[in-house]
Amino acid sequence: MRLTPGPDRDIDLDTVNLFDLDLYTAGDPHTVWNAMRAKAPLHHQVLPGGREFWSVTRYEDVCRVLGDHREFTSERGTVPTHLGTDDVAAGKLLTSTDPPRHTQVRRAIGAKLTARAVATWQDRIRQAIVGFLEPALDGEVFDLAERALLLPAMITGPLLGIPEKDWAELVQLTAMVTAPSDRHFCHGSEDATLAIAHHELLSYVTEWVKQRRASGEADGSVLDHLVNATAGDAPLTDEEIALDGYSILLGANVTTPHTVSGTVQALIEHPEQFARAQADESLIPNLVEEGLRWTSAATNFMRYAVDDIEIGGGTIPARGAVVAWIGSANRDELQFPDPHVFDIARNGAKRQVAFGFGPHFCIGAPLARMSLRIYFEELLRRFSSLEFAGEPEHLRSFFIAGMTHLPIVARKR
Amino acid sequence: MESTPRVSHQNGGGGTIAEPPVTADSLARAVADVWSECLGGREVAPEDDFFAVGGSSLSGIKIIDRLAEDYGVRLSVRAFYLAQTPTRVAELIEQGRAAA
Repeated sequence: MRLTPGPDRDIDLDTVNLFDLDLYTAGDPHTVWNAMRAKAPLHHQVLPGGREFWSVTRYEDVCRVLGDHREFTSERGTVPTHLGTDDVAAGKLLTSTDPPRHTQVRRAIGAKLTARAVATWQDRIRQAIVGFLEPALDGEVFDLAERALLLPAMITGPLLGIPEKDWAELVQLTAMVTAPSDRHFCHGSEDATLAIAHHELLSYVTEWVKQRRASGEADGSVLDHLVNATAGDAPLTDEEIALDGYSILLGANVTTPHTVSGTVQALIEHPEQFARAQADESLIPNLVEEGLRWTSAATNFMRYAVDDIEIGGGTIPARGAVVAWIGSANRDELQFPDPHVFDIARNGAKRQVAFGFGPHFCIGAPLARMSLRIYFEELLRRFSSLEFAGEPEHLRSFFIAGMTHLPIVARKR
Repeated sequence: MESTPRVSHQNGGGGTIAEPPVTADSLARAVADVWSECLGGREVAPEDDFFAVGGSSLSGIKIIDRLAEDYGVRLSVRAFYLAQTPTRVAELIEQGRAAA
């Protein structure tokens, strides 16, 4: 989706359709969210067919919805695509599980993904990133958004335990989950595309586990860890392993490519910021935080109200679905002054909630942060300038903000 | 892919019959019953849409396994979800058997 909004315009919030995919491919969601934060901080929408949901768009309300599972449960599903259909994987898939079970499993899996644990992978990740940037050095047109889809697989494939021959297929499947009606990824109907992708990803993990158990090998990878982890004195069930393995593959693949392309796009639009970061590498960690805030690749997450809940000047009725718009929270002027200005030296950029907030805060955040830092270190060391070489194309998704194409030309330093 | 259901050949001679002759309609009905079972007992008709009756990838996994056990034909994941109705899934099974 478009990351720099156009001028504010009069928007009729009673008729706006937040699930209209055209809004994200061709429209300007930030102007809609601006209006919602200002005029309807608790917004209600009924979809054709009768499904309904509430939206919160302010930073404070988004954090409350994501942060308190006693008021807002994850156990009926967390992705708005499935609004109205209770999640069949509730209580088994970590992202669709509330504490206390969530806490046990999260701790078990997270041990392998702490900042300290992922630091040992630093050199391997740098090599993968250098390999990724290599083809751009020849000065030809480089479609960053298209190529970046494979970047997480190149970085995390070996850490997850996924052989290189499977990367392209898995990247295709995870992209199908995020944008089942995007022309690049759809197979038949949207429902069929989603089911095919879910099914093949779950089967992939199940088969991976079966082979690993049969061979008795262990490679210290994240999936290996999942197979051997214990949560609450017992190993994870096979179903939990398959679902959480799926979730880890999804989380690894579908967000960071868009943070990479969207941040590079912002740096091309603001050459002075590019020059500033190039002159002072110590700004890169804050550049990464600002890039995460700016791109907010995970646009939203959904929860269900446990009881009638007062929030944003209104009431969400018990069992009502509420969508917490992360993309909007990260542009809340009360939290980020001049929110639509991309500023790599922004104070407080680290308060961004691109990784979510509360118990379900992204388990891969330390790995993503480190990978993004290395990516921009290597990019700024190698290239003296970057330019657009065509129009971007936006991903057809209301829960992942991203691009499918961003042609650029890079000049060697 | 064929679009009209076929009737399986009846065994007219004295050879052994591995299973009772099955018409396309009754195979579609049997497939619908497997769906119903894997969808928690919900009523399913041969022309029902998989997603409209609450089908998901988790039930799809069970259904494909069950059909493989019952009919000896393992359907491809893509073909299964693109077929979308018991009648068309029954056609896929027929085709799989004919190819075997």
